[in-house]
This record gives sequence, structure tokens and C-alpha cells, in this order.
Amino acid sequence: MQPRVLLGTWRSSLRVVGRRRTYATAAKAALPELYDVVCVGGGPAGLSILTGLRASPITSRLKVALIEGQDLARQPPPSSSLTDFSNRCSSLTPASVKYLEEIGAWHHIKTERVQPYQEMQVWDGVTDSRIEFDWAKASSSIIPQQQRTHTSGDIAYMTENTNITTALMARLKELGGVDTYSPVRVSSIELGQDTPTLDLSSWPVLSLSDGRSLAARLLIGADGANSPVRTFANIASHGWDYNRFGVVATLQLEGPGWGGSEHKIAYQRFLPTGPIALLPLPGNMASLVWSTTPDRAARLKSLAPNDFVAMVNAAFRLLTTDITYLHSMPSGHVDEVSWREQHTTVSEDKIPMRVANVQEGSIAAFPLKMRHADTYIGERIALVGDAAHTIHPLAGQGLNQGQADAAALVRTIETAVEGGMDIGNTLALEAYNSEQYAKNNALLGVVDKLHKLYSFETGPVVPLRSLGLKAVDGMGWVKDFLMRRAAGV
Amino acid sequence: MEVIRGEMHACLQNQSYKTRPLSTSSITFTSSTTAPPTSVSATEVSHFNALASSWWDPHGPSRLLHLMNPLRHTFISRCLASQPSPSPTEQLRYLDIGCGGGIFAESAARRYNTSSVTAIDPTPEVLKVAEAHKRRDPLLMQTGKLDYRNCSIEDLPLPQTDDEKFDIITLFEVLEHVNNPSAFLHAIFPHLKPGGWIVLSTIARTWVSWATTIVAAEQVLGIVPRGTHDWRKYVDEGEMREFFERMGGWGEGRCMGVVYVPGVGWREVKGSEGVGNYFFGVRKGREGV
Repeated sequence: MQPRVLLGTWRSSLRVVGRRRTYATAAKAALPELYDVVCVGGGPAGLSILTGLRASPITSRLKVALIEGQDLARQPPPSSSLTDFSNRCSSLTPASVKYLEEIGAWHHIKTERVQPYQEMQVWDGVTDSRIEFDWAKASSSIIPQQQRTHTSGDIAYMTENTNITTALMARLKELGGVDTYSPVRVSSIELGQDTPTLDLSSWPVLSLSDGRSLAARLLIGADGANSPVRTFANIASHGWDYNRFGVVATLQLEGPGWGGSEHKIAYQRFLPTGPIALLPLPGNMASLVWSTTPDRAARLKSLAPNDFVAMVNAAFRLLTTDITYLHSMPSGHVDEVSWREQHTTVSEDKIPMRVANVQEGSIAAFPLKMRHADTYIGERIALVGDAAHTIHPLAGQGLNQGQADAAALVRTIETAVEGGMDIGNTLALEAYNSEQYAKNNALLGVVDKLHKLYSFETGPVVPLRSLGLKAVDGMGWVKDFLMRRAAGV
Repeated sequence: MEVIRGEMHACLQNQSYKTRPLSTSSITFTSSTTAPPTSVSATEVSHFNALASSWWDPHGPSRLLHLMNPLRHTFISRCLASQPSPSPTEQLRYLDIGCGGGIFAESAARRYNTSSVTAIDPTPEVLKVAEAHKRRDPLLMQTGKLDYRNCSIEDLPLPQTDDEKFDIITLFEVLEHVNNPSAFLHAIFPHLKPGGWIVLSTIARTWVSWATTIVAAEQVLGIVPRGTHDWRKYVDEGEMREFFERMGGWGEGRCMGVVYVPGVGWREVKGSEGVGNYFFGVRKGREGV
């Protein structure tokens, strides 16, 4: 959901050498240390791959390394207070949870900091037409019989990204066997040398900031949207910027929600500038993701906490013209919103409970992008997570796509090992690309179109979309598609 | 069928079928001990020399062989799993005959339960390709892991003890290329450990190939001179089975039929050993033959 900053320090010092043979460069250097798998990037996707490889009896003989620019040992664990949540949260699909269970990471998760939700309310801010996602009713038709579990009433699970990465690191520590280079930067990547005894001319060789040199049979780029591994592999990534920012914050509501603590509801309202979503966290807490224009995002960040809270409440309740006016005010939102609310009728039980407070220091903003790499694989290269694709956060799928990539790549490597293949060979990696690429592309496309569909405030598309939404709500494939993807089935 | 055969064996189109190692009327495997000095055909050697450079191109003419390779391991694993003892996890010694560019030999050497692979092929150019490709993988460069030899089975020194023999001898897509399969197989047997496996793959001789290559191409359309093809060169699964049964001292043959589905890849299809590509594995008795 958010740009990876972990490897941001690379850019200044990283020297990426294109995929060409470099026999004549560094004079007879010592042989680099050889690894079967080198994963660059210790985010949720990279950690999940390494955990999967270590947990599988088929791949556990592989020699693996992790390189992370930040100090993994000093990553802050989740808070111990249940009224203090990080603003970097994700909605984990049941498929992601299932995978984390399979690789033994889920039991390291602080489950008291995980909030399942059972209902989604999605509506159009201009016409007010709604898609009601009644999960209990729909799940019987959407989730295949064999995949139904005791959790099948849950649409997805909100938790902090740090809860996931901390659990994965705990599981990795338990499994052992990963050479971790952290905090260590990659200074350069180039192809190895062809010597009389060994031909490493197809092997990426990484020079690290601590002076080491590693050669990778398979180099995994889990190194974020500006992936240096992708650049090295000369794989282009296409897409566009939405000219929108995602404003995130951790909020405290007046209560646990209209369904109580046992029936939690996620809300999303499509405003012409982008969707605003409120996702439930444990207790009265909730996570905000508000996509809006860069200037509005900047203004929101500068507001006093009580004015910010008033704006969030307004954004779920007032007409878009009111919201536009409020965005132009430098301060005094509390009174203005309160006055305007008296003249607006809303059915309170169909929108989120009122926000009471915003957690100090939790308001942040990041630019929204859509990017998709041309391919996820190259000779001795695999890209996962944000290195392969960046998605609009409106469907909450970014982190889940990375987990699905990780699961698919581990399966592909397992198959290759069983067949005695060189796991860096494109022939071995083809299965990963074909399994994930089309799936991710479809999701990127639908989410992108949804964003565009709801971006019009006036004009012919507005009544059409309202009509369309009603039709979709009654029968539709979009709804099915969204629900399936939300649940990751 | 044409897809299977046409692509898998496009390399065989220029082959001249001068020898008739197996005829339907006289499958005389057991009696043909008067073998020529070598099982290798000169036309085959020159043909595979020409193919050498593209052997490891994943999108080249050998792509179907690359795609089939994992199934070879699947089949071997099944053969090993079927034996009561010893436990199939022990370190295995392989002999891969007709290894070509090393697609199977490399993959066998990479498996964790392999102690060593000896791989032989009579074609010098493909072996050069195999040697060069091996250097790309440090694992394969470990001493004794993978040893290529440019020779035929007849040139391979006979083992003096059982320890020098092999646990698994493989002949993938080879039998249809040799001059006299019966003599060829007999030359192999001394290299196999008691309790070891011979695993091979080849193509069944069927009415489908007969209809397309003999009746259509030669007799009806006349685009191919009569007698160019001898579809009897292929060996049926039943004939393989019978050959080993008659000889005695061998376990029951196991088999797996596979079909290439365009866009999907190779798939096991039960019963397809009767029509097309199939794997066959048979275990030597513990007492020896």
C-alpha cells in the first residue's frame, strides 16, 4: 500500500550495471560467495519467500541469503498498547493468512492486533448508490466448498505491516539457515566472470557495502517499486501516476462500530477525487486510507487534530460540494462541519461511527501509482511484490499480491528442485510468471478502471454509473470479482 | 500424435533407416548376441552435431525435451518408491546413455539423493556443449558429481565389482536411434547393479503413425518415396515388457504414458503408452542376471 522506503538509501550510491558481459572489469577478484538464492529486500514479500523456502523440506537444502538496507534487528515491533497502532496497515486476505499459516509464521502473529471484518459498505459519493457486500450470504457461492473454514465468515483481516514482518522474522529465526546481511546496501550488481574452471557469466554478482561479493543462482528482487534488481535485469515497468496522494492515519472511533466487536464493517466511499476508506482495527480503533489530490493531501496533513477529525467525519457524510468547500479552509473545520451536518441527512448506521480522535503523529501521505513490470522473470532473476507491480490502494491488495507472488515463487522453486532444474533458469521460472502475471494484471486493470469510473463528478458517466452500480449490485461480476479478490480466492 | 512425434523427433527426419533392429515377426532381443561393434549410427552422430549449438536454448528445437525432463524424475521416483528395499533415499549412481547436451544428466546430478552421474554420448559436438554448459553450475563442477564421456556403451570399461556398477541406467529418447536395440540393451546389463533400475523412454509403434507416415505420405500422396520410413523401428511397451520377462531375473516392468498438449506441456495420460511416448522402467533382480 505504501512506497517502500527501506531501500531508499540505495539510490544515491547504487551503481546498476546493465545486463552485459563484463569480463574486462575488475581484475581477477576473489571468487564471490555462491548462493542458490539471494533475496534483496526484507519487506513482507521477501521475508515470506525466504520463510517459505526454509520451511519446505524440498527447498531447505538451498543456500540462501537476505540483503536488507535497514537494520532488521532494530525494526520496531508492534506496540504493546491496543490503543496505539501503526498507520501502515494491510487487509490480509484469507489466502494470505492461509499461506502464512502453512509456512509457520502465523502463530508468531500478535492476534490481539488483528481485526477480522465481516462486512463491506461501498458507496458512490455523488449518487449515493451502494454495493452491499453481505459476506455471509455470498460466501457460500463464492468460496469453493473445500476452501471453506471456520473463518469463512471473515472477509479479510486488518493488521499492521510490522505485525506481519515481525512474525516472519521470528519464524525465520526459528528456522535458521538464512545468511542475513543487514544493514547492508548493494553497491553494484553485475554479471560474473567466465574463468577456465567456472562460467559465472550468467550469474548476477552483488557487491555489498561491507565489501563482500555474492553470486546468485537466482536473484530475487523484493526491493520495492524502484527495484534496483529490476533495473539490473533491464525489465521495463510501465504505468502512470494518479496525481493523487494516499492520506493514512490511525483513528479512534466513538465505539467499536455498528455491528459491535463481533461484526466489524469496512467502509469505502468513492469521492470524485478518490475513495476514502475506513478499515476496522481492534477495539474502537480504525485505519484511514484517503486518496485525494496532492494539494488537498498537503492541507489535510497541516490541519489541527480536531479539524482533521472533523474532515474525516465530513468526508463520509457531507455532499461533495460541501467537502470541496471544506478543503479550501485553512482551519475552523469543527464548527463548519457541525453546521453543515445539520442540513444533511444521512442514515448513520450505513456509514462508519464517528471519529473521536486521531492518533498523534499517525497522519502521513504518499503518492499513488500504478506500475506493472513487463515480466517478472529473467535469466537468474525473479521479481516479487512492489518490484513487480504497484497497485492503487483502493482494493487493499498490494501486500496480498506480494504474498501470492511469494507463495507462487516458492512453489515454482520447489518444482524446479524436484526436477533437478537450475532454479535460475528461465525455463524453471516460467511457471511463476505465468501463474502470477495475468492474475495481477487483471486486478491492476479492474482497480485502475474503478478509480477512473468514480473520478467524474458530472457528465454522462455519473447517472450511468449509478444505474450500473445498481445493476452490478443486483447481479454482477464486478461485485463477485471484488469479493473474490478481497478474499483472495 | 503428429505434434508429439513431429516436434520431439523432428531431428529424425533425415535419418536413413537402413537397419531393422526389431521386426514384428521376430522380436529376437534375447538371441541377438552377434551385435555390430557399436550400437551407434554414423548418420545419427552427424545429425546431432548439427543440433548442438541450440541444445540449451529454452525456446529452441530442444524445448520439448526440456519440458519433458521433470517427468523423467517423476517416473524414476515412482520406480524407486515401488521397491521394498533398500530405502530409495540412499545416494544413487546414475549412468545416462545418449546424454546429448546433458539435459537429464545435469538435472540428475543436482538432485539431493544423487552421488554421481556418468553421462555418455557418441556425438562429440553435443558433448562439448554439455561440458561448456556444466561449467555454468558450480554444483555440477564438484569433483565426481557429473562426468561426461564421449563414447558408446561398448567403449565404457566393464565394472569389476558391484560398487563400480550403477543404481540407475537411463536411456531417454535413445532406443529409437540405435542400430540394434537388443544388442544395445545386452551391452548395458553388465553395468547395472543387482537391484538397480533401467529406465527408458521411447515411442510406441502405432496405427496413427503408420496411417500418417506410411499410408498418407508414401502410398497415397507419394510425397515421400516408398520405403523411406520404417515405422517398425519404434518399440511398443508390450514388447519391452516381454523382452525382459523372457530373459528372466528382472522385476515387473513399470510404465507411464505421456502426451504433449500444446500450451499446457507434457501430461501423464493413463493408457497412452499404447499410442505414443512412454516411459518404461524395470528392476534387475537382486541375484543378478
